[in-house]
Amino acid sequence: MEAKKRGPVYWFFATLLTLVWILPILASLMTSLKTADELSRGKFWTLPETLTLGNYVEVFVTGGFSKYFLNSLLITIPSVLCILFFSSLNGYALSKMRFPGRQQLLLGFVGGMLLPFQILLIPVFYLSNLLGTYDTRLGVILFHTAFQLGFSSFFMRNFIKTVPDGIIEAARIDGCSEWRIYRTIVLPVLKPALAALATLLFTWIWNDFLWALILIQDDSLKPITSGLQNLKGQWIASYHLQSAGAILAAIPPVLIFAFLQKHFIKGLTMGSSK
Amino acid sequence: MARLSIRNLNKVYDNKVSVLKDVSIEAKDGEFLVLVGPSGCGKSTLLRIIAGLEDITSGELWIGDRQVNNLPPAQRNIAMVFQDYALYPHMSVAENLSFGLRIQKVDSKEITERVTTASRMLDIEHLLERKPAQLSGGQRQRVAIGRAIVRKPDIYLFDEPLSNLDAQLRSQTRIELAALHQKVGSTVVYVTHDQVEAMTLADRIVVLNKGHIQQIGTPLELYHQPANRFVAGFIGNPSMNFFDGELEIAEGKKLFHFEDQCLDFTSAPTPPQSGRYVLGLRPEAIKVLARDGREAVGSVDLKPTVLLLEPHGHEVHLVAKIGKQQAIIRSANPKRLQVMESAKPGDALPSTIDRSSLHWFESSEQGHKISF
Repeated sequence: MEAKKRGPVYWFFATLLTLVWILPILASLMTSLKTADELSRGKFWTLPETLTLGNYVEVFVTGGFSKYFLNSLLITIPSVLCILFFSSLNGYALSKMRFPGRQQLLLGFVGGMLLPFQILLIPVFYLSNLLGTYDTRLGVILFHTAFQLGFSSFFMRNFIKTVPDGIIEAARIDGCSEWRIYRTIVLPVLKPALAALATLLFTWIWNDFLWALILIQDDSLKPITSGLQNLKGQWIASYHLQSAGAILAAIPPVLIFAFLQKHFIKGLTMGSSK
Repeated sequence: MARLSIRNLNKVYDNKVSVLKDVSIEAKDGEFLVLVGPSGCGKSTLLRIIAGLEDITSGELWIGDRQVNNLPPAQRNIAMVFQDYALYPHMSVAENLSFGLRIQKVDSKEITERVTTASRMLDIEHLLERKPAQLSGGQRQRVAIGRAIVRKPDIYLFDEPLSNLDAQLRSQTRIELAALHQKVGSTVVYVTHDQVEAMTLADRIVVLNKGHIQQIGTPLELYHQPANRFVAGFIGNPSMNFFDGELEIAEGKKLFHFEDQCLDFTSAPTPPQSGRYVLGLRPEAIKVLARDGREAVGSVDLKPTVLLLEPHGHEVHLVAKIGKQQAIIRSANPKRLQVMESAKPGDALPSTIDRSSLHWFESSEQGHKISF
């Protein structure tokens, strides 16, 4: 496609918006490279006098960041995989199988998305106590899986609906069991949708602060977001450490995006039919 | 190879809509059976029922000597070619062809052999490594047919396989399909709404309308002896002209009145009793009289008024008005062509009716053919 000619107004606002978005990130990046001493002299908006990676090292060594990092991975990856698995199964059933109550089930998933999460805080806390999953990583994983399943199933259902019925019926005639159709026909065709959803889910779950705060008390189980809180400093705000931590915490979602975006190819089903 | 037997089959959907009513069809081993009808007549549903993609409300379905009512599609030993091809987009052509065989755990040497034979037969050998997205419409169609061939099914099911192709490719593929059927010799059930495909491919045609079978017969039987008005109008292109009128038999004369016209059928085959009938005339049964100089030669039955000319080169279709009714006249005879081609809108052309090809139907909604 040929690039459209853009006017100066477009460029002005585009640049302005980009700056607004990028400024806080730039600020934390610079802060993370400064010493506490420099910050205490009020030099927030200047370039660092001496470049130092010391803050990053300190975050890891004394801040316990390697532990938090690992916890975040141990929570996020299983959650994302569980959601992808269940939501693609849900999506397949909701879009390609005829069974009584299908429409109501779909409404249930969509309706669940509309609930404000604040009203879930106390019930979920009680539930995790009841199930004995309070203060475990499993508890957080279970919560994220359940919480994101509504949106994800809806997303998957809409995507699978665009897959032509013909290829599923052809597979049925070829002798595939329903499970095999799902595994060898539907899943490969779903790749772009799975990649897009995985990126979203990874970012959301990785960045979650609230639910980890509510469901985990033990410092050794905390993910990076609530771990970041510990860098606050007891008497003086240690902005330099917090910035370094925040920058570190932001890296994995960016990497995931970079890694998965090449799978966001549109129209993978192209060529299947006319 | 096997014969197909459908006995008193009914299909009612969950929402109580009845799409097939008491359908019975017997197809001989190796027969090319074409299901035709307007859209919504139930022909695709019938095909999907044979395939096992829809279940049967009541009735029996036999393939060979097995009743297959409750068998899953894979165990019926059928293969289906879908209207939109339905190739697996993430697999290469070779994988598409072999997928079904791999699932059935056919020996890998055998698979290679069958894939090679089929791809050679369809001239797609050079495409085996490509993905469906890299193929043209015609090539995808071949792959879809190939996927059916490798399975060596008892029955081939085709669901409007040519409707996505352009006109030229369609007639070419039609010929190839006919040749393929001669080579493979399996029973074929082929769904189409295109009566040209039906006429040219079929051993026998099943005409469906609103879930009822209207007639089963060879293409020529349907053309020359349509069982009712629907079949008469559906088979043949351009379609048959119908004239609703009154037959009067008295004093040794037989006269047919319609609109403001009167035709003398004294020496022609007509129903034996006076009454209300529908006369069916194929476009070629109305003959514009050739001229000798300026005079028309022969006895004049009608003088249709020309509305429009459709020259096709080898023949001409003439849209004309007879009374208030529109009719189509066709001819390929050079002498008549000359008259028809020089006609202008508004001209009245003296014409005669071929009395050996009159079709008489009841003047009722069903419009059954009257035999006498």
